[in-house]
Amino acid sequence: MAGYLPFDETDLPTLYKKINAAEFSCPFWFSPEAKALVDKILTPHPKERIRINGIRRDPWFRRNYVPVKHTEEVEVNLDDIRAVFDDIEDQYVAEKSECSDTGPLLMNAFEMITLSQGLNLSALFDRHQDYIKRQTRFLSRRPAKDIISSVEAVAVSLGLKVHTRGYKVRAFLNVPLFSTRLEGMSANKTGHLAVVLEIYEVAPSLFMVDVRKASGETLEYHKFYKSFCAKLEDIIWKPAEGANSNLLRTITC
Amino acid sequence: MDGRSSYLTLGEKLCSVLFPLIGICEAVILGFVGCCGDLRRQPDRKFDYSFTDFVEISRNSPFTVNEVEALFELFKKVSCSIIDDGLIHKEELQLALLKTPAGKNLFLDRVFDLFDEKRNGVIDFEEFIHAISVFHPGASVEEKINFAFRLYDLRQTGFIEREEVRQMLNAFLLESEVHVSEAILEAIIDKTFEDADADMDGKINKTEWKEFVLKNPALLKNMTLPYLREITTVFPSFIFNTQVDD
Repeated sequence: MAGYLPFDETDLPTLYKKINAAEFSCPFWFSPEAKALVDKILTPHPKERIRINGIRRDPWFRRNYVPVKHTEEVEVNLDDIRAVFDDIEDQYVAEKSECSDTGPLLMNAFEMITLSQGLNLSALFDRHQDYIKRQTRFLSRRPAKDIISSVEAVAVSLGLKVHTRGYKVRAFLNVPLFSTRLEGMSANKTGHLAVVLEIYEVAPSLFMVDVRKASGETLEYHKFYKSFCAKLEDIIWKPAEGANSNLLRTITC
Repeated sequence: MDGRSSYLTLGEKLCSVLFPLIGICEAVILGFVGCCGDLRRQPDRKFDYSFTDFVEISRNSPFTVNEVEALFELFKKVSCSIIDDGLIHKEELQLALLKTPAGKNLFLDRVFDLFDEKRNGVIDFEEFIHAISVFHPGASVEEKINFAFRLYDLRQTGFIEREEVRQMLNAFLLESEVHVSEAILEAIIDKTFEDADADMDGKINKTEWKEFVLKNPALLKNMTLPYLREITTVFPSFIFNTQVDD
């Protein structure tokens, strides 16, 4: 109705403070009845807040109101997850092989370069200045099959629903409402977090696990990634210091 | 007879002198008025775009007028984030893409240079629309292939050289905090050139690049922004200013 959120802050603590204090203002074009109803809905104290029945009985609400036919609230199934992902991803990714026997995709230099943050203009559309957009990937020297099964196991242990195709894992998590801003998909009772994990072969016996957020709140994603990496300590490869300094010396910009 | 002809001649003489003089005066006066008109306009708005400008811009781009207006909202946000002048400076683009205005970034430099077509150190709205059109899901693959080639051709020699690939790969690994040895780095580059450098001359030309990309369409993933199809929902504030409902 207003065209903007009642509570819109870039950091959560301030946001919660505003919500608890019911610090918001209605635009001037709201009628007094509409304003009264919104006030009742955005009451911080749950006992004082208007109930659904109360909303249904409100005279402003009832004006020209046609009740909607109720459908059973279905639990999100994997087809919905696929629909979210397939739209954007699979247009440009050629799935070379479904069979896991052939191993993960061989990554060439350009495929890696295109993952770079500086070349990813979708960041322009971020509504909030999310803090620390860090690259999320790591290397592993374990066999590819071990990596994929560990990744799946850890994702499941963190409560995500996983769907694996070859060396690409799509994982999906429902998160409680206050952790997210209602972005994207239907988020009636809960928000969601969707991630894609892909394993690539970078060099013989050296694999890169690239993890990225497909949708959901960046804060949630980083929380997930931290717990995720903590549980995968044993497969993450961190080469000796010597290699690093060599690399740093050859960089020219 | 003589008097009359001399009178006419005198009149003619006067006209022949006055007309050009009047013309000059007119030109000077109008020039001043135009100048003052500009001076009066400039301090008021740093954004000198009217609705008809948007229509014109929309006509030459894959965007509808509403989409151009929504993109203008985005442009306003980015272009006023550090230096409030309605133009995107490098730090402002860096802030928008990398969430920090500080530090050097090879890829950001390339992106900025490609957007800044006039090479005057800033990106104005027309340049912005022109460059971002390439990222529209409906833009041709040819356009995307060309843009990507120009991006990676760091020194703009018309070829993507091995040294340039190494530079970009290093930048990527540094950014990802992923470290590999020199040997592995060389192996990756070797493999890449094996696949891409058909004539094996140590560099990738435009044709080789095109072939390579058509075999690996995933390489163009970052050249498409699906958001552009829904831009009007991401920046709805334009609806308060629009004159058209499309």
